[in-house]
Amino acid sequence: MLLAAFTSTGPREVSPDATLLSLLLQKDVSAFEQLYDRHARLVYGLVLRILQQASTSEEVVQDVFLQLWRNADQYDPSRGPFVPWLCTMARNRALDHLRLKSERQRRREDLPGELPTIVVAPEYEKALDEKRRAERVRALMASLTPQQKKAIELAYFEGLSHSEIAATLKEPLGTVKSWIRNGLLRLKEGLQATT
Amino acid sequence: MKNCDQFRDLIEAYALGALDPQERAAVEAHLATGCLDCAKAVEEARWLVSQLAYAAPEAAPSDMLKGRLMQTVRAEAQSHAKPHVMPSKSAIPFWLWTAVAALLLFSIYSAWNARRLQDEIRQANDRASQLLAERQKAEEDLADAKRQAMVMMDPSSHKIALWGEHAHPETLEAKWHSQFGVCIVGDKVPMPSANHVLQLWFIPKKEGMPPMPSAMVRPDASGKIMIYVSAPPESMDDTKAIAITEEPAGGSGWPTTPILWSGNVT
Repeated sequence: MLLAAFTSTGPREVSPDATLLSLLLQKDVSAFEQLYDRHARLVYGLVLRILQQASTSEEVVQDVFLQLWRNADQYDPSRGPFVPWLCTMARNRALDHLRLKSERQRRREDLPGELPTIVVAPEYEKALDEKRRAERVRALMASLTPQQKKAIELAYFEGLSHSEIAATLKEPLGTVKSWIRNGLLRLKEGLQATT
Repeated sequence: MKNCDQFRDLIEAYALGALDPQERAAVEAHLATGCLDCAKAVEEARWLVSQLAYAAPEAAPSDMLKGRLMQTVRAEAQSHAKPHVMPSKSAIPFWLWTAVAALLLFSIYSAWNARRLQDEIRQANDRASQLLAERQKAEEDLADAKRQAMVMMDPSSHKIALWGEHAHPETLEAKWHSQFGVCIVGDKVPMPSANHVLQLWFIPKKEGMPPMPSAMVRPDASGKIMIYVSAPPESMDDTKAIAITEEPAGGSGWPTTPILWSGNVT
């Protein structure tokens, strides 16, 4: 599968994450710490992008990693790579928090200065892989039309449905559906083309 | 496959979570039929959507977050490593034991303190009763002394001389006041035998009436006696004489020894 090339390692190579996760099943604290160091920035950046509030985002990230620590056996390596699974869990938690706490309304009244400083990952190989992947995704997102990009961001980072996005953007529902589908397909093609 | 076509346009939006409820339910119902092609398409779409996480600006959480996490994780790792060593300790925290011990000590102290206070109250009540009794006795003694003084000093008191019989030449003097009773005083009175007392008798005028037993006394070290009877058994007019005998300690109901002193009342 072409998309599989975007995982951090090849299908037959044991990834550092897989090794650490097997240790995590034995309640290895050091393995947990290494997993946190490897992925906390990505997870926190995602949650912060969704919630737009630093302290609340840290609460959610803490919940995500504690769930990983307590229920590491919920992750099935045979069903896919670890990082997408972790990010999916983090996104779901953040969106739940967004809906439950009405953060959306409060966020508009918050000070923009609460955003933490954006940092670059350390210059080691794995970080470079993560960094390159992020650059690739961001470049592809930038290549979308502004409408496609906006509609996808509203769906992914704010958890809005087609109808809600149409209402937000004041555009026809069918148009919004097309923006999202075409944008995702273009993203998919771009990812495939870069492998 | 034709059946799948109507869902293919929805797969990416389904993975993104952007479908409205009716469309999402339709996709899920189709997936529930076991359509492998669509299931695989959903997996690919989910992976594609997961890559959107990288579109978020990377940011660093605070060091405090990692500190809190590691503290929690280390604590849970320790409890996980020794889950059954001391179950009672893990089930009940130390502070709770301390609180229970403190409560127990406080209860014991409270019970002891209550008991102590009850004892003190009881002792205080006893002391108050004793003082009250002493005061009542003092008041009675004072009243007796006043009555005795009245008997001895009032000119209306009837003076009676009690002459000694046999080997008792000393004369005792009695005064009978119609209202306050009879007083008998004397000096140099011989000491009765051991375990014996001097007992006063009132002898009625009426023939055949037995002597009426009355007060008992032992002389002091100098031989003085003072007998006071506030309520004589008979009135002065009905009494022929008064007499004193020596009787066993506790007195007698009838004279058991010869008369030592006697005097006519009327």
